[in-house]
This record gives sequence, C-alpha cells and structure tokens, in this order.
Amino acid sequence: MSAEPDVPQITNDSMEDRLYTVKYDDAGDSHLDVKVPDVCARCTTNDCVSVCPANVWREGDDGVPHIAYENCLECSSCRFACTYDNVVWEYPETGAGVTFKKG
Amino acid sequence: MSAILERVDEEVLEAPNYDGEFDAVVVGAGLAGSAAALTMAERDLEVLLIERGSSPGAKNVFGGVLYTPTIRELVDLEDAPLERYIAEKRFSMLSHDDETAISISPGEWRREPHNDSYTVFRGEFDEWFAEQAVEAGATLVTETTVTGLLREGREIVGVETDRPDGEIEAPYVVLAEGANSLVGEGANLKATESRENVAVAAKEVLEFPHGENVIENRFRLFGDAGVSYHYFGEGAVGEAFGGGFIYTNGDTVSVGVAYRLEDAAVNEQPPEETLNLFKSHPRVAPLLRDARTVEYSAKTIPEGGAESVPDLAHDGAVIVGDAAGLVLNNGVHLEGTNMAVESGYHAGRVIADANARGRTDADALEAYGRALEESFVVKNLERYAWLQETVEEDRELLFETMPTAFADAGAEYFRMDREPKAEHANRAKRAVIDALGGWRGLAKLALRYRKVVT
Ligand SMILES: Cc1cc2nc3c(=O)[nH]c(=O)nc-3n(C[C@H](O)[C@H](O)[C@H](O)COP(=O)(O)OP(=O)(O)OC[C@H]3O[C@@H](n4cnc5c(N)ncnc54)[C@H](O)[C@@H]3O)c2cc1C
Ligand code: SF4
Ligand code: SF4
Repeated sequence: MSAEPDVPQITNDSMEDRLYTVKYDDAGDSHLDVKVPDVCARCTTNDCVSVCPANVWREGDDGVPHIAYENCLECSSCRFACTYDNVVWEYPETGAGVTFKKG
Repeated sequence: MSAILERVDEEVLEAPNYDGEFDAVVVGAGLAGSAAALTMAERDLEVLLIERGSSPGAKNVFGGVLYTPTIRELVDLEDAPLERYIAEKRFSMLSHDDETAISISPGEWRREPHNDSYTVFRGEFDEWFAEQAVEAGATLVTETTVTGLLREGREIVGVETDRPDGEIEAPYVVLAEGANSLVGEGANLKATESRENVAVAAKEVLEFPHGENVIENRFRLFGDAGVSYHYFGEGAVGEAFGGGFIYTNGDTVSVGVAYRLEDAAVNEQPPEETLNLFKSHPRVAPLLRDARTVEYSAKTIPEGGAESVPDLAHDGAVIVGDAAGLVLNNGVHLEGTNMAVESGYHAGRVIADANARGRTDADALEAYGRALEESFVVKNLERYAWLQETVEEDRELLFETMPTAFADAGAEYFRMDREPKAEHANRAKRAVIDALGGWRGLAKLALRYRKVVT
C-alpha cells in the first residue's frame, strides 16, 4: 500500500508499548483459564488467539494456549469466540485489572 | 476520584451490613446503570449502585459519540465533561487504495443542542454521570464486583459480591452490567450471545505532539466543532463485516475498528493488525500521521438486534442497556449510549411505581418492557432487524465490489482526456451497473436497502 506515492508512513507502537499506555493493577491471580485442557489440545482453530486484541492467548507447545493474563484488556472477545465454550472468564477481583482513562 | 465519591465509598465500606437498607441494587455504573439509579433516587428510593472499576467508567470503552436526547432530560449537561459536538459526519467507502465518500454537515448541527451528539471519554463522563446519581441520593460503591444473584424461589432478592460478607438484599435488582453480562447469563436470565452477533473493537486515542492546531487543521474544525468519520469496505476492515472510525476529541482523536468476532476468528484476523492496516490505508494515513498513542483499548459490541433482546423483566429484576442487547449497529448508525440511558430511565421509573404499590413480580415490572417497546429503542432495533442478514448475504458485493466500482466510476466520470464527456459518463455508469449485476441487479439492490435511508 505504501508503494503509492505521497502517502505518509504510519508508525504504530508495538503491542507492548500499546499495553503500556493502559493503567494496570495486577490482581495476582489469573482471571482467565481454560475449562478442559484436553479440549484445547484437540482444538485446531485457536480462535481465542485470533480474536484477542492484546495477545493474551498464545499457542502452546502441547496445544493448550498460554494465557498472559496481565495483558488482558477485559474486552470479553475470547469468551464469545471459543466455539467449545472452553474459556473460564471471571472479573479480576476488587476492581483490579485495567483502568481506562480515554475509553 | 472526586471528593464526593471518595467520601461515599468510605462510609459504605465501613458499614458492610446493608441488608434491608436498600430498595434497589444496580449492577454496573455505566450509562444505563447510572440513569436507572438517578431515576430511582429522585423518586426517593434507597439505591445502591455497584461498580467493579476503581471509578465509574474506568472499565468502559466506546467509539465514541454520546447521544444525549434522553440524558439531557435527566441532568443538566452544562458542566458535563464533553469533548466536541459533531458538526460533520462523513461516510467513506474504501477499496484497497480508493476512497469514495459523502460528507454531511448541516448548519443546524452547529447550533445548540448540536443534534445531541458529542464525543466524550467514558472514564470522565461516566464518573460525572454517576456523581449526579449520588447527588440525587444514590449510594455508590466501586471496586466491587457482583458475582451472582440471591434468590428466594423464583424471586431475585439481592446480589452477591466479591467483598467479605458481600451479600446484599434488596427487593429490586437492575442488571446494567454491559455486553459482558456474566451475572445475567450465570443466573439464566439471558443466553450467551453467539459470536456472529458480537463485534470486537480495538481503539487507540492519538495525540499530535508536533505543531499547533493539528486536529483543527486536518479536520477543518473551529471552536468546539468536531467530526465523526465512518469507514467501510475492504480497505477498512479487510474481508470482515464491520468498519473503521475516526472521532475528534478536544486535543486527541479516537481511531478504531469494529467487526464481527466470527470474521476475526475465521479469517484469523486479530484486531490489532486490522487496526494497523486501517491506519495505514493511503486515504487514512494522512489524517493520522505523526501521532503518538495516548491509550489503547478494546471491547465487544452486542449487535444481535431486536431478536437478541432477552426477557427484560423478572421477579425482582430487570435488564437494561447493553446487557439487554440494546445497540443499533447497521453501518450507518452505531448507537448504544442513547438506548442505555433510555432503558435505564424507564426501568427506574417502573420500579419506583411498582415499589409504591408494593409489587416486585415480573408482571408489575413488565411495564418497563412495554415502555421500551413504545420508545425509539425497540422501534429502531426492529426497523433494522432485517439488515444484518441481508448485508451478510451481499457481503462481497457491498464491501469489496462496490467500493472499487464507485471509485472506478468516479475516475471515469471525471477523466481528463480528449474524449467527449458523454463517453466518460457512459463508462462511469457501466462501471457501477456491471459490478452490481446490471440494471436488474441495481434495482434489486436499491429495493433491498432503501429502508436504510427512507
Ligand atoms: C468500540 C465501541 C464503539 C461504540 N461507539 C458508540 C458510539 O459512537 N455511540 C454510541 O451511542 N454507542 C457506541 N457504542 C455502544 C455503547 O458504548 C454502549 O451501548 C453503552 O456503553 C452501553 O451502556 P451500558 O451502561 O449498558 O453498559 P456499559 O457502558 O458497558 O457499562 C456497564 C458497567 O457495568 C460494570 N460492571 C459489569 N459487570 C459488573 C459486575 N459484575 N459488578 C459490578 N459492575 C459491573 C462495568 O464496569 C461498567 O461500568 C460503542 C461500543 C463500542 C464497544
Ligand atoms: S480456548 Fe477455545 S478456541 Fe482457544 S484453544 Fe481452547 S478450545 Fe480452542
Ligand atoms: S478478554 Fe479480550 S483482551 Fe482479555 S484475553 Fe479475552 S480477548 Fe484478550
């Protein structure tokens, strides 16, 4: 696209820098999990990975995703996206997690 | 956090036993929740408003433009934290390197009340709105998550929270928890929405550290005027069903993409990548160049429309706002804030009436559902109920073929060469007609979509 003349280059922050813009308070425990790891091991679509805007879900070696819960923006997409209903999704306790100022 | 909220918080946290103290508990201090709390408090009910975030709005994300026709009737917006009013709406079709757009900017929008459309930040606005409910007499607790409902038989008689001894009884519960409605779903008051009916949105707020008046100059603004730019087509969100947006705030712009979760999953199209592609589209990049990211955020939008609205009234409880699926998202309109406030208001009013008659049963609270049906909320949702499905059937035509066809037609119509204009006009016409399946195809299409604008 940027091959077109007279189009400015947009430099985007990395995911890490983007997430750094969000105030975050670690609850200490993951508020996300999978219900049955075997279901993930057999799942080939990994929809949780595709839909997550914060790179929380990452394909793991054994087929069960790693969950970097500290990245979570609490958007709830993974919960709706998993067609096996295999996502455990709870709210971080006592208001922990993200705080948006410009949401 | 403002002084008033801090004070209230402390008082409430020091006295953890609220049983019998409250007539109504509202779950979630978003727009719908605070509207309900305010309405009930003004009618002298004792209201507890529970919010999981560190302050109201801390967890909330939207585009966005706050639509104020109802909220303006409930509170004085004079001191509300508004960013800009919308003076221009622009709808733009993007192919991979073309843009065809319409801009609408009536003089009327520049005069009060500015067509009731203002950009806001939810972190600021929701906190302010909750304060209005507190000033009317409601009690607010933050950093408290409702984890379930208390029942006696069929009747809902209160909530359970994540606080120690955190059960709170009250005759009425208003579920205003937004799209991620864990409480309502957990209590079987509504089904989990299917991913075909939920959109994922990623958004960035950008500032322009280099130069003066960058936003005013790029978007042709003066004073408090602002714009909302809406983009659809392949260049906006690839093959997905959805769109991109740019809204101007005071000193920043909000840019984002929103599209169906189903498409994000099936196309393996993560929101962050989609946002990056949209921002670097050749017609979008000049508006956003040399910017710095102030905040990144994400959220889901329920877009199942009228068919997805659950039973709104239960014994001892009602559902309002996004939790009830009250969002209109059809490409031309993205409206949820107005519906959230309207629904919260009617719910609050009906509960106050029922309370005066000593009734908590679903039959008595059904008046809320009826009020909503008679309001613009359900009427608008029903009006566009057909659209989602039709657009899905025509997806390729609308999002891929049409943006290119219109751009080609424009290029032909205005071509500068030595042929007579009649030739250009003919070719322009053919570009559109051929792409859309001939005259017959065009007529069918026009008929199918006429209801969007008529
Ligand atoms: C990206 C995006 C763009 C949008 N753009 C627009 C737009 O431009 N214009 C427009 O009109 N609408 C827009 N919408 C829709 C609009 O934001 C929503 O319709 C509106 O916010 C709904 O208000 P609500 O009060 O029902 O829910 P929310 O605003 O989601 O509020 C729910 C509240 O409940 C709290 N909560 C949730 N669960 C619990 C719990 N268990 N315990 C305690 N508290 C809880 C949350 O923290 C939150 O404060 C957009 C939405 C998105 C996602
Ligand atoms: S959470 Fe769902 S989508 Fe993700 S790997 Fe497991 S089964 Fe698949
Ligand atoms: S809630 Fe959103 S950000 Fe958090 S893990 Fe799920 S998809 Fe990712």
